[in-house]
Amino acid sequence: MKILEVSTGQLLDINITTVAYVDFKVISSKRYFFYWEEEKAYEIVKLTLVDNTDILGLMSFECIDAEKRIHIRLLAASKENIGKDKIYDHIVGSLLAFVAKRAVLKYGEWACISLRPKTELAQYYINKYKMSITGMTLSLEVPEIIELIKQYSHEE
Amino acid sequence: MKNKKKRAGTVHEVIDSRYSSVGEQRAEALLLMEARKKRMAQVSQMDVFKAKLMRLKLQMEEFLKAPVYDNKPHFTSFLETYIDTLYDKRSAFAKDIDITPVSLSQVLNNHREPKEEFMLKLMVHSERAFKPLGDFHKKMWYQVYFQEKINETMANQEKWRPEVEKKIKFESLI
Repeated sequence: MKILEVSTGQLLDINITTVAYVDFKVISSKRYFFYWEEEKAYEIVKLTLVDNTDILGLMSFECIDAEKRIHIRLLAASKENIGKDKIYDHIVGSLLAFVAKRAVLKYGEWACISLRPKTELAQYYINKYKMSITGMTLSLEVPEIIELIKQYSHEE
Repeated sequence: MKNKKKRAGTVHEVIDSRYSSVGEQRAEALLLMEARKKRMAQVSQMDVFKAKLMRLKLQMEEFLKAPVYDNKPHFTSFLETYIDTLYDKRSAFAKDIDITPVSLSQVLNNHREPKEEFMLKLMVHSERAFKPLGDFHKKMWYQVYFQEKINETMANQEKWRPEVEKKIKFESLI
């Protein structure tokens, strides 16, 4: 997968890997908005450029096998990568695509990822990622989940 | 829970999506499952095929990323899934790649190794089948096949090593 360097328009290769114990030393709530150590009971992944250890995005999630669904709990790009002056784009999309792949791998045609953004953000996610809304929950299923994976895979 | 969002304002790159209680989670889960069942009933057969093929592709990628030395026939297992996803009858696949149903059956049952021609036909067939999902790496079936051979060789060292060791006359230089 790749993210976009906004200033140059270049697509750069990324890795999304499980957060290690030592990573918590550099994951501050100031830069990543949440107290991520409190998510240790869940799976937490980090997004980095392939040739750099700096963490550009984090996501925690829970696999709910009984419902064939992965629920995203927390998701954040690093402070310098939010808003209109961000350095890199596609961080959120890449993290969503990562968890979408995991869902398809586990649940096949029943794959589903879900999240519950603030009400004012819901429409953005519906438009940008073609999510469906049910009550307060946004979800992505087949066929849109496959399209998301395709869009952010950037395969060669 | 002290894990509060820190002054991010309303930006779409920061989401706190946790449920505030188990009750809330259960209520939303029920609603969501009902809605998903309705939407699933509307999903086309083609989209179900695509999802199954995507899953297979991801499974093959996972196998290559983290090879397991478990002595199981992964190549033929992936091949069976591939064929059974696309065809009602395996003989139809055999016909489409111009081989006999018997030779396909022998490959699937691990009674014979796939010939190079079979692999090449499988490569071209897969390129076409996976086209709606983006690219399917040309090397994928070969990589899985040879990775399995490596796994098998490493896993079965106690079977082949004693005999082979006896036949090698060269001693270590150190």
